[in-house]
Amino acid sequence: MKDQIDAATDIMLAYYGDAASRQFYELLKAGKYQSTRCKECGDATFPPRTFCPICFSSKVEWKDLPSEGTLYAFTQQDRSLRFPKPDVIGLVELEGVGLILSHIRAPLESLAIGQRVRVEFLKISDTLTLHAFAPV
Amino acid sequence: MKSKAAIVGVAQTPIYKEFPNSVLDVALDVIGRALKDAGLRKDDIDSLVVSPSTLGGPPSFMLSCSLAAHLNLATRHMTLVECGGMTATVALKSAIREIESGRSRRTLVLTMDHREMLNPKDVDGFMHNTVRTQTCLYGVYEGPYGLGAPIPYYAMSAQRYMHEFGVSARDIAEVPVMMRRHSANHPDALYRDPLTVDEVLGSKMMCPPIHLLECSAFAAGAAAVVVAHPEEARSIRKDAVDIVALGEYHDPSHFVPLRGTITSFISARKAAAEALAEAGIGPMDLDVAEVYGVFAATELMLYESLGFCEPGKGAVWLKDGRSTYGGDVVMCPTGGRVAYGHPAGTTPLFELIEITRQLRGEAAQRQVPGAGLGMVHSEHGMLNGSMVLVMKGAQA
Repeated sequence: MKDQIDAATDIMLAYYGDAASRQFYELLKAGKYQSTRCKECGDATFPPRTFCPICFSSKVEWKDLPSEGTLYAFTQQDRSLRFPKPDVIGLVELEGVGLILSHIRAPLESLAIGQRVRVEFLKISDTLTLHAFAPV
Repeated sequence: MKSKAAIVGVAQTPIYKEFPNSVLDVALDVIGRALKDAGLRKDDIDSLVVSPSTLGGPPSFMLSCSLAAHLNLATRHMTLVECGGMTATVALKSAIREIESGRSRRTLVLTMDHREMLNPKDVDGFMHNTVRTQTCLYGVYEGPYGLGAPIPYYAMSAQRYMHEFGVSARDIAEVPVMMRRHSANHPDALYRDPLTVDEVLGSKMMCPPIHLLECSAFAAGAAAVVVAHPEEARSIRKDAVDIVALGEYHDPSHFVPLRGTITSFISARKAAAEALAEAGIGPMDLDVAEVYGVFAATELMLYESLGFCEPGKGAVWLKDGRSTYGGDVVMCPTGGRVAYGHPAGTTPLFELIEITRQLRGEAAQRQVPGAGLGMVHSEHGMLNGSMVLVMKGAQA
């Protein structure tokens, strides 16, 4: 299954990605967790875009996302297309940005809504690094 | 209440695990029966709207064109529509708008979901076949995490719902129990045996906190509906059912919104408010509704977002018997997505056909006495978009 999801991910990023997604995944490979922020209205968004989704300005800059956030919700998939069991999935609330889906590197039973989590970089292959979160 | 368009003919397949015949066989069967139900001939139809043959499956490239050619059906309007779980009602809306514009008088809507890749004996094969579709569905930023189905999103929504409102697992498990009481009266429902709360909570944990018996069952099916101009609807069928109001709203989000809530759905709130205002009624004026609750907790949150009860009070409303026969509004007399079954690409038309049968007074053992006004709710994503229809029958 890993080869298939890697191939599907490559195809998807090539066909449905854009300059912002290519930059985002390049930055993850380099151990940087960033998204775009509007230079005109100041909105910090996720996912990154080549324009501001609020005021539609094209003047955006890359800025570090908070490296810590709060666990907003979490669950576990029985049959992941990517990760071996246990595949814990969570929504992390990053202050000033919003809710971000990620892989959570901790057993489900150990987690609680509201706990602090910190970003980690998960090398999947030579071409793909994903962000993940683990309890602080 | 002014009629936008009227439903004069309906037909559906049973809820299948998979199609017993080819897509074309099944399509021709429901089209033929919908025309017969309307008492119309094929060439009385002047426009055609169809869905893809399945959601997220093999291409349905030019399916409306090849189908019309096969039927030898000339039309003034023809198209294929896709909008996730809302596909069937968006297709229907295309028919309604065509009739409202005056260009067409009798439109045929065909929606289906053949789920050919869904073999319950071969889950690995299914996942292999759908990996690219699923990855693309969740997009560039969430697809790479390997979601095999949308259930993790709904699980986190249910977890937050329990956390924010103090709703218990037992409260949520009451939903499939009620749905099985309803589906027991529907001969075509996928699951009809009675259930207890303990049985629901004892079923396999899928994505915590969602148990197997709180999930809608993937299924296959097809439906066809004939929509006619209100001026001539009653000459086609005396008991034509009118679509009197329509509300629709799409939040600019796909599954989880960046900001906002996942325990209340703005699309359902806005679509219901728009439709009820257009009809000039409140939610309690309705007699019956079919809503698109694909998991038990989602069903409760939908009751709240659609305006039937206050936020966090869905379980209380249900437990007090207000969502069933003898209560305020009968929700999902078919048994809903959880018990009746959920062929997503055609589910909204299955809902609409049930409301049509209720308003015609032909719903047999599950008939809501005196049903005159009904609601159909459909959605896509995780309630990111919703459409609400209000329908009126002769008993209103």
